[in-house]
Amino acid sequence: MFNPTDIIDILANNVKKTRGPFGIPKFITNRWWKTEEIPEKGEYLLFTGLMYQLAPFIETSTRHLERFEDTRWADEIRFARFVPPRLSGTGLAAMTPIFKQKQAQKALKDITRLLKTSGTDFFYRPQLDEYSGILLYDMGDRQGFADHARYVAENLTKAGVKKIITVDPHTTYALKVLYPEYTGETFEVIPYFELLALESKTADLEVTLHDPCFFGRYLEVSDVPRAVLSNLGIRTSNLRNDQVFTSCCGGPAESVSPALSRSIMEERKKELETPGHPIVAMCPVCAGNLKRSGAQVEDLSAVLARHV
Amino acid sequence: MILDTDFADEMKQYSGDTALECFNCGTCAALCPLFHDNFPRRMIRYVQVGAKERILENANELWRCLHCGLCTHTCPREADPGEIILGLKQMVVETRRRS
Repeated sequence: MFNPTDIIDILANNVKKTRGPFGIPKFITNRWWKTEEIPEKGEYLLFTGLMYQLAPFIETSTRHLERFEDTRWADEIRFARFVPPRLSGTGLAAMTPIFKQKQAQKALKDITRLLKTSGTDFFYRPQLDEYSGILLYDMGDRQGFADHARYVAENLTKAGVKKIITVDPHTTYALKVLYPEYTGETFEVIPYFELLALESKTADLEVTLHDPCFFGRYLEVSDVPRAVLSNLGIRTSNLRNDQVFTSCCGGPAESVSPALSRSIMEERKKELETPGHPIVAMCPVCAGNLKRSGAQVEDLSAVLARHV
Repeated sequence: MILDTDFADEMKQYSGDTALECFNCGTCAALCPLFHDNFPRRMIRYVQVGAKERILENANELWRCLHCGLCTHTCPREADPGEIILGLKQMVVETRRRS
């Protein structure tokens, strides 16, 4: 295990200086929208929170942390706080294969297509789309989270945003539950799958849906993606540990202990593989973590987009 | 070990005062995916008895918590163990920064 204080200081400094947890300049992380035709005005702002975009960088970072955990080099991570965030962020980006960065954009493109197909009146402005700061909150840095959240919320309020579509559970929880408490700003926050109205088609397929903790337990919205899948003729396997009783993928521990994270995700992988159907995730952190354990995982958006 | 009798009150600013609701049944420790040394029950007991010093000595253990919420969801006393652990992380971060 790494010293959590060192990790928190690095993350907090990155968020403070670059508005992102890894210090990677936003023009590198957030490029998916350049090939999409999305209006700049509408009823709902599509707010990705950059989580899907950050997934390949999380994977690279975790792979390197895993090599040094519990070795005599582990304590040296404390010196990382002296490296300028943009320099370390650009280095991390350079170590992350371009094809993985492009793969990570696919979910956002699929979600855009699904929302358009459903007739949702939404818009996207990359300058308003920021990381939510949720990792700082999860790590116990209230002040760092509050400062960043106020910056994000102020920008949204100044732009007149009232309704927000989110795409991942962490950002959804942050904006829906934490932002009103920490920033005083309240938005109408809806995960994208709640707005989907997809035409029925008999897919004749069964999948095993992994509920992320924030969607399944904290926000209790597990029935919605199941209903969307069901409308397309896609059945979902019953697991003992699903919906409000879902098991964690281990992702939240990956920055302080990749080994602990791996042991948790291997347990979850076994549970998800038991029914013998394709595994579907709806969180980039869960998907990335389960893939690291060798599981074949697809994002919910990809399954839906393929059957529309 | 010095017990801080005001510790449960101090924790109110982080995670409320639900720790005192806990009657140590161990459901949280039995369900926690960590299966680690009576976690989180032991930490909640430390809050109840004011063993702040002991928590600070073992502080790194708090970051093993995944904040998955299973303990909070199943606690029969609604003591909110997951939020207590998050509150302890916040307390440790702020204590270390102040020092």
